[in-house]
Formats: sequence, structure tokens, C-alpha cells
Amino acid sequence: MGVTRRDFLKYCAIGTAAVAGSRYFQLAHSMQGDNAAISYIRSTCSPNCTGACGFNAMVYKGRIASLVQAADYPDKEYNPRGCLRGQSMLNLIYGPDRLKQPLIRVGKRGEGKFKAVSWDEALDYTAEKLVEIMKKYGPESVASTIQVPGTGYVNKGALMRLSSMYDWSVIHAYTMNGDLPAFWPMTFGVQTEELESLEWANSKYTAVFGSNIMVTRVPDAKFLNISRERGGKFIMVDPNYTPTAAKADEWVQINSSTDAAFALGIVYVILNEKLYDEEFIKTYTDMPLLVRLDNNKRLLAREVRSLAGAAAAMKGRIPEYRELYVAYNKKTKGFVIPNPENLKRDFDPAIEGEFDVELVNGKRVKVKPVFQLMSEFINKEYTPEKVARIIAPEEARVREYTDKIIKLGREMGTIKPLHIVYGASNYQWFHGDLKGRALSLIVTLTGNLGKPGAGISTYAGQYRVRWPLGAWWAYKSKAYKWLNYLLWMNDEYRNTEEFNKYNKEIPHPKNGVKAFVFGWGNPFDQHNMSNRMREKATKGELELIVSTDFQMSTSCLWSDVVLPGVAWYEKYDLTATVSHPYVQLQQPAIEPLFQCMPEIWIFKELAKRIAIKTENEEILNSIADFYVNPELFKKEEEARKNGSWTLKLAREIAQQASLDAAALMLKTGGPQVQDITVDMLKQGPVRLNLPTPNKRQIMFYEQIMELQPFPPVSYPAPLPKTARFVKSGRVEFHKDEDVFIDTGETLPMHKDPFVDTENKTPGVKEKYKFALITRNALYRVHSTHSNNITMLELQDLKPKVWLNPRAAAERNIKEGDLVEAYNNRGKVYGYAVLDPGLHYRVAIFEEGWWSRYLKGTSYNTLTYPWIKAAHLIYFVPGMWEPTTAWNETACEVKKAEGVKHA
Amino acid sequence: MRKLGMVIDLSRCIGCRSCAVVCKIHNSLPPGTWWQRVETVGAKEHMIPTGEYPDLSEVFLPIPCQHCENAPCVKVCPVGATWQREDGLVLVDYERCIGCRYCMTACPYGIRQFNWQSSDDSFKEGFKNAGFEENWFKDKEYRYGYPLDHRTKDGRLVFTLKRPRGIVEKCTFCVQYVDQGLLPACVRGCPGNARTFGDLNDPNSEISKIIRGRDVFKLLSDLGTEPKVFYIPPSRKEGKGGISYGKKL
Repeated sequence: MGVTRRDFLKYCAIGTAAVAGSRYFQLAHSMQGDNAAISYIRSTCSPNCTGACGFNAMVYKGRIASLVQAADYPDKEYNPRGCLRGQSMLNLIYGPDRLKQPLIRVGKRGEGKFKAVSWDEALDYTAEKLVEIMKKYGPESVASTIQVPGTGYVNKGALMRLSSMYDWSVIHAYTMNGDLPAFWPMTFGVQTEELESLEWANSKYTAVFGSNIMVTRVPDAKFLNISRERGGKFIMVDPNYTPTAAKADEWVQINSSTDAAFALGIVYVILNEKLYDEEFIKTYTDMPLLVRLDNNKRLLAREVRSLAGAAAAMKGRIPEYRELYVAYNKKTKGFVIPNPENLKRDFDPAIEGEFDVELVNGKRVKVKPVFQLMSEFINKEYTPEKVARIIAPEEARVREYTDKIIKLGREMGTIKPLHIVYGASNYQWFHGDLKGRALSLIVTLTGNLGKPGAGISTYAGQYRVRWPLGAWWAYKSKAYKWLNYLLWMNDEYRNTEEFNKYNKEIPHPKNGVKAFVFGWGNPFDQHNMSNRMREKATKGELELIVSTDFQMSTSCLWSDVVLPGVAWYEKYDLTATVSHPYVQLQQPAIEPLFQCMPEIWIFKELAKRIAIKTENEEILNSIADFYVNPELFKKEEEARKNGSWTLKLAREIAQQASLDAAALMLKTGGPQVQDITVDMLKQGPVRLNLPTPNKRQIMFYEQIMELQPFPPVSYPAPLPKTARFVKSGRVEFHKDEDVFIDTGETLPMHKDPFVDTENKTPGVKEKYKFALITRNALYRVHSTHSNNITMLELQDLKPKVWLNPRAAAERNIKEGDLVEAYNNRGKVYGYAVLDPGLHYRVAIFEEGWWSRYLKGTSYNTLTYPWIKAAHLIYFVPGMWEPTTAWNETACEVKKAEGVKHA
Repeated sequence: MRKLGMVIDLSRCIGCRSCAVVCKIHNSLPPGTWWQRVETVGAKEHMIPTGEYPDLSEVFLPIPCQHCENAPCVKVCPVGATWQREDGLVLVDYERCIGCRYCMTACPYGIRQFNWQSSDDSFKEGFKNAGFEENWFKDKEYRYGYPLDHRTKDGRLVFTLKRPRGIVEKCTFCVQYVDQGLLPACVRGCPGNARTFGDLNDPNSEISKIIRGRDVFKLLSDLGTEPKVFYIPPSRKEGKGGISYGKKL
């Protein structure tokens, strides 16, 4: 599409005079006139923030001169998306750390000595080593992982395809990252849910619990401001004052990880002032279901003498993952079995009271509705005064906090729609699930689900796969093997009584992990106990480490083979993340730099070479099917044979193969992507076909509006796998699997941080006074942009440790001092920043710094792979499994001694 | 004749510095050079609150060149290298600037930057300071920024990728884009939708409507420099969502 310069000027003049949204006019793909030599290619910025912002690459003489936000989203309010990190991406693509060619390690592990080799040599070497390990230890001893597939279904999917092909164990990054908010499967039976950010503007009340949206969701942040402009209120609950607190109408400072207490204080007000939506909770939740007082389990219909017959008859009509429970019908004054497959209700259940019921065995037991039990519990434990004592940062402010809880409880109980944002920094604690369950209670009691601007959202990771991808990801529909990262890191826990008692389903390779193949991540810096990873590498427990990246990250330095991949301006890929529900393409604006190759090609080549070396006839015969179109595979092989093969040809084929894979995933993806084609996406972003008005991302719309049972499907898991989490078909606040009973967590409750973790080690409580929060920085996307020269400049080239001025003074630490944050596991260096908004008992280090900027230390040496027993009782990868609790880390801070000041 | 200006809404500004970075990349500013800054008012460090705990606040202030109508920099330039164009843009003619830096002394906003060395040398130094073993991009030919030279209609060089040593430079409202009918990079690139750019002489332009309809202020307005950058102050926070039931629990 070309426009003359005159037309262009005219268009712009109209654009600037019209309404706000239209000033972000769409750029033509190429402009004529003075700028004939400049062209624009639209791609999607795809680091692991998952913002997935459309950018036009300004291409001049084969290089990207600059980046301009595409601002082409049909919902104009979204325009423009993109932030400082995405804008300076060129510093990485062309930067000093960019990889040029494949590398094989020659020095010691982690030393950084490599030889540059040809692709053939690197791939053959890797394939040979992998085959050796697969033969010796079994294929499941090869572990692979990718990060955030929503930002690259094709190329990241290619490693998944390779893993399924050879029965490797896959580590689910969502739990490796601690991004899984475990309250979701426990309460709603889903992996995760959220409002798209555009919907924030529709909320009349937004309560943000520990999410620094203004810094970590830059392209979405404006919708909170717009909500305020429209008269909505926005409060920030956080131990620390942040830019998000600065924008909020109110900042409520609470002690670290006491959000559950705060939420239950709010619930106390909602219950006692009868601000809850009674009809709503009767229809959609387990509040009316009866619980046996003798064993704290939900009363089963089949246990009840008067219902056993009816239950047996119903049993055959419901799926096996459902269970039949009992409510007391006020209309008929008798017990009733709510249908777990349909929330339509012709009975009026009691939510209060106590009942006597005769069981099949003749025994009589007392039962109470969940609502009754919950009310009793909250009235006893979470009065505003009691809560104020838990959450108030100073004893002297308890009275003020008591009043505040009552005031905020009334506001949250009455102003609708109410939206709660629960931040990852807040749920990545040992009892993060309890906090989420308590916060869910607020929105559920008040009927804030299934409606625009209403609900509870978590935005970390955004792993959520939007539609079935198996046609590409699973080679010939083969199932994956899985590995839980924390259980790999925490060998000692796998031998505990607790683990063996509760674990029923979690797989683990019998010979351990011997090879690690990964891409799009930096686990040797970024992951929990990165020092354990390094130990496994140093001691030789890991026999092979293979990475793909487009630049030389710390993890590449620790690899045996580095396979140079490309950035999102050098390839085709398909993206669909969640903060905005658009399907988009990455498109090549330039040729891959140097010898770098699209990852689909790298994994295709590995697949082929492994097949040859294993002499696996079956795979060998069908290996051409690694590419969706086997003819493309054969074309490249043919070229190799007749000597016409070039890197350029392989790239062209790989780019076409990527488009084919994208087309396949769209074609086989079902209703959400029906009629969306690659050609449409080449023109710009296309909204998913969501089953809601205006296709908006609203949580549980079909459950609330159409009375379908909980949960909706969480792709890629089949419904039976996740529906068993909420067997009643309702939102569940009373959990009765044994582990919840054993730990006293049947109902949402508050548990103090560190009691079940750090403080179990004698002396720790007295020695380490701070909670170490490794928050996200404005200048990085996790560890991406750590080496971005513009971002480094904005931070004065210095990693920092934020401390409360009073806490710093007690340790004789002054602004700018080089300090050491340490605990009994590790340490990290940074320069002290005194921040009056910081909680007295919190120290902050911003995650993502490569260790070369930290004098070799790593903040992940302080973290620990805590595992909570409740997370063991099912295993659905990325949906119910042990998940990392980064912030459950106690530390102390002192002036660094004997270290050179920068 | 149109008169170009900018409004920045400080309620919308989230302090993310995207504008500063967009500016840097599009205008090919090497390490050490910024044409636009975003700071936290009254704080030593960006995004650190000011005030007495617990009554804290953080106000972010982006400062591009104010393109003053009564620009002191224009008055002091002995060679006419800095001038105000008819459309209100205050520009520097790189071929005429002699590097005397009178303009830097005159500017009350501290906007102007002097090239003590060539931008290549600044890049090399920047990479070195940041601890890179190699002091350049991996692609030796690479340099970010709008790739073409830009001259005004009367032939004055106001944008070039390779900027000479010994001259003064500053924000041009992205003259290379404005002359193509595009908006300045920081306006296009603000993810908070905090900025509006347009013709102050056109009563129907969006910017004119905002200036008429909202409380706006100018930086150091008592100096009489007549900036063409206007700011909407941060909104008040009282009276939101408060509900009085008049009863006790």
C-alpha cells in the first residue's frame, strides 16, 4: 500500500483534528517521495512481558533504523502500545552481545570460552550428545523448556514438537517462574483468568494488591488513569509506595504478605453489613453446599440415606469428574442435590443454619452450609480490629486501620463493577494461594464476575494458551512427558514423608535430568536457586546444556552448545497473549543477522540429525513431516544433495515453514480463531472470537450469563483434567481434599509469611529481618534488556538495593553505599537507595540483572524452591503443580566489605 | 500560519520514560545525550517519593524543549544558528552553529546539549563505561536513528545521523517527522496517551480545545519565555468513592 506524500499530509491533517484515538493514524507499509528508501514492516514486540505490542520497523538499507509503535489496533483506545524497552530493542538486536555463529564450549562450564563452529558441526555435536544421553538414561532424562509461548507459538512450539517427538521431559515455565496463581485452579478450576486491560476503564472501583502496573504493564497502565477520569476509584494495597500507589486515590500500606487478612477484614464488613449478593452466591458458588461437622468434608449425596437413590440415578448422567453434593432447599424444607452440570436453579438453598442428616449407614451427622461455616470463622478471626493488628505497619496506627477497613469494606461491598488486580510479586509467596482465595471471596460475594469491568485478575506470565495448538506442538499427536522444575531443584524434598504422602501424579525421570535444552530464557541467572543449576553444571550432573538465544546471555555462557536464534524482527511467528486478546504476527523486517537462524530451523535440524543417529526407522521415515509441508523439508534436503544449499535458502524455507505452522494452528484452533487467516494477520492484529459482547475478555461470562458449570476449559488441558479441581461445578471456597484439612486451610485464611518456611530453620527469624522482594524493573523485561545500553544509562549503570531510611540508618548504611543483601543461602550486591515509601521490614532488589553486573553474585542464590503440599495433590502441567515462591525470602543487608566500589 | 505546540497531561504521565527513549533512538542520541528527560519532582532518584511518610507523593515531569515563543536561546545566538521557524519550532542549524554555548547559558530549562566529542566517540565511551568488551555494535555499520538528513525548505541542516563535534543540539519537536506531516516521536510513542501536539493558532485543533478547557500551566512562566509546551497538573484525589452509611458496625 503506497500513498503519495500529499495524500499522506492530508490524511495526517484530518487525523490531528479528529478525536483523540484517530491521531495515531496507521502508517503505510512503504512511503514514497523523499523517503522512498525507507520501508516499514509490522511485527510484534515479544519479550516475556507478553505485552505483545505492535511495532513498525523502519527499515533502511537492510537495517532497522528505528521502531515506531504500529498503533493499528481496531480498538483505538489501545493505541499506541509499546514502551521504553521495546523502543530500544535495537540495542539488543545489533548490540555487542549479539550472537554471530554457533558456539561449542572449550573452557570450563560457565567460564565463557567457546569456539565458533559451523552449523553442521554444532548440530551434529548436539545431536550425538543427546542420543548418547537418551540411550544411556532414557529419553525423559533430556529436559527442555521454553518461556511464554504466547509470544511465539511457531518457533517455541518447534521445541515442544521436538520434545514430544523424542519423549523428552518438558518443564512448564509457568510454574518454573512462579507465575501460576494457585488460587485459580483451587477456587475456579482454571489455570488463570483476567480482564483485558481495556476493560479496566469500565471498572468503577479498582483495588490493586501488590501489582506495580505503572511500571510493569506500561502499555496498559493508562486504562487505570482513564478509569479514574471517568469517576472510578482506584486503591493500591502494598507494603511499599510505588508509582502505582502514586497514581492511586489511596495507598493502603500493609505488612508483607498480609493481604489475606486484609481481604477477610473486608469480607467481614461485607457479611455483617449484608452487602453480599445472596442470589449470586446461591447460584454460582459452593456457599449453600453442606459440610459435615464430624470430618470437615462436603456432604456427598450418595452418603445421605434419603438421597442415595437419586444420587445413583444422577451419577450415570454426569461426567466422572463431577461429584454430587447436598444443599438444604428452603422451599421444600428438605435436602436437594444441585446439578453440577447446570447452574440453573429451581430450589432456594439455605446458606445459613445447622442441619441434621441421616447417612446411609444410619449414622446422624450435623452439617452446615459453607456460608455459615465461613461466616462463623470470619466473625471470630477477622474482625476489623484483629485484622488491623495483623496488617498495620505500626502499632500506633491500629485504630486508624480499623476504621480504614470498615470504610474500604463498605466501598468494595457497594461500588460496582469492582475489579481486583492481584500482583505476581504478591502471590509468589508460600501462602500466595490463600491470599488469592481470600481476594476471590470479595469479588464473588459481591457478584463481581462475568460482567464488564468486574472480577479478579492476575497478569504475570500470561502463559494461558488461547486455543488448542496440538496440531503443531505435538508431533503426530504424541503426548509430552513432564518435569516439575522445583522438584528438580529441590531433591531433598522429594524424599520427605510429606511429598510421598500427597504426591500421586507428578512424574520425574527415573535417572534424573542429564541434558537441558532451552530457549527464550536465562535460567542460569533468572531461576530460583540459579546457583543449584550452576552446581549441577559444574559437578557434571548435567551432562549437556544446549541453549538458543539471539544474544550471549549468562545462560549461554553456561551452555555447552549455543545455537544462535533470532529476534522478532527477523522471523515469522504467531502471538496471542492476554492483556489484550489480539492474534498477531511477528514478521521479518530484515534478514537474520550474521549466521543466526529462525529457531524452527534449528529444531528441525536437530530432529533430523537425532533421527539419523538413533537409526529410528519410524521417525526417519516421517521426519519430513517436522515441517507442516514435507515438500519444504525435502526441498532443503535436495539442495543439500545437489550442492545448491545456502543459508539464505534454508532461511527462506524456514520462513515459509513458519507461516505454514501458523496457518495450521489457526485452521485447527477451533471457534476462537475460526476464519482468522495468516493473510489477515499480515494486514494487522485480529481480535480473538471470544464468546462475549464485543468479543471482550471478560472472565466467566458463559458461567454467569449462560449458567454453564465451572470451570471453562483451560487450554491445552482437556476439561476432565481441570474440572476435577472444582467437582461441584461451582466456585469453591471450601476445599476438602485431605491436604486442606490437614493444614487447616479448608477455608480462605491468613497465615503469616516465613512461619512455615524460613523460620523453621533455627536462628533465621532473629538473624534476617527483611523480606527480600525481587520486583520487576522499569528498565528490563525480566533479564531481557539487562545489557541494553540505553536502559543501563537510565539506571546510572548500577544495580540497586532499596531500603527504608530508618532501617538503613540502623545499619549505618547511607545513600549510594555499596551493600550486600544476604541470607544463609547466598548474597547479592547493589547500591543503596533510601526510599521513604518502603516498608521498614522490606528490602528490594530489582530482578533481571545478569550476574556480570553483580560482581558475579546473583539474587537467585538467596531464593529457595519452597514447595507447598497443597500444590502436590494433582498434576496438570502449568495448572496444578508446585510453583515458585520468589518472595518467601528472608534476608539482612549490610555494607559490602572488601569489594571494589564501581 | 500555524504555530505548533504540545500539551502534556501529568495525570496521564506514568513516568515511564518511554518518551525519552523514543526520542533517543529516533534522533540517534549517543550515550550521555538526552533531548528529553523525565524526572520525579523533588526526588534525587527517579520514582522515589517525596513528602513526609505516610503522606507521600510522586509527580513525574517530562521536559522536552519548550520551544519558547520568546526564546532566550534565539536572542543570544551570535550567528543565527538557532532560530524560530514560522511554525514556532526553535531549531539549530548544525552547519552554522559555532559551539559558543551562549544558548546553553541562556536556556532556563537546561535543555541544550553540547557535543564535546563526535557521537561515534560518545558511543564508544558509553559501551566502555557499561562494561562491554567491544565498544561498538556487533554490526560495525550500525547506528540507530532516522537515517536521512533533513533540511528545512530554505536548506538549513536540522537533522543528520552523524552529528558533528563541537555543536549544540536539542529537541526539535522531531522536525524531520513534523515536516512530513507526522507527529513528534514522543507524541506518537507515549503509551500513556499523555501528549497532544498540534496547531495553537487553529481554534478547532485538539490542543487549542484542551488549553481552553482545562487548567494548564507553563514551566517558569514568570520568566516571560512563553513556552509552547503546556502541562495539565495532576488531578486531585479527594472525594472518590467515599460512602457514608451513618451507622456503626
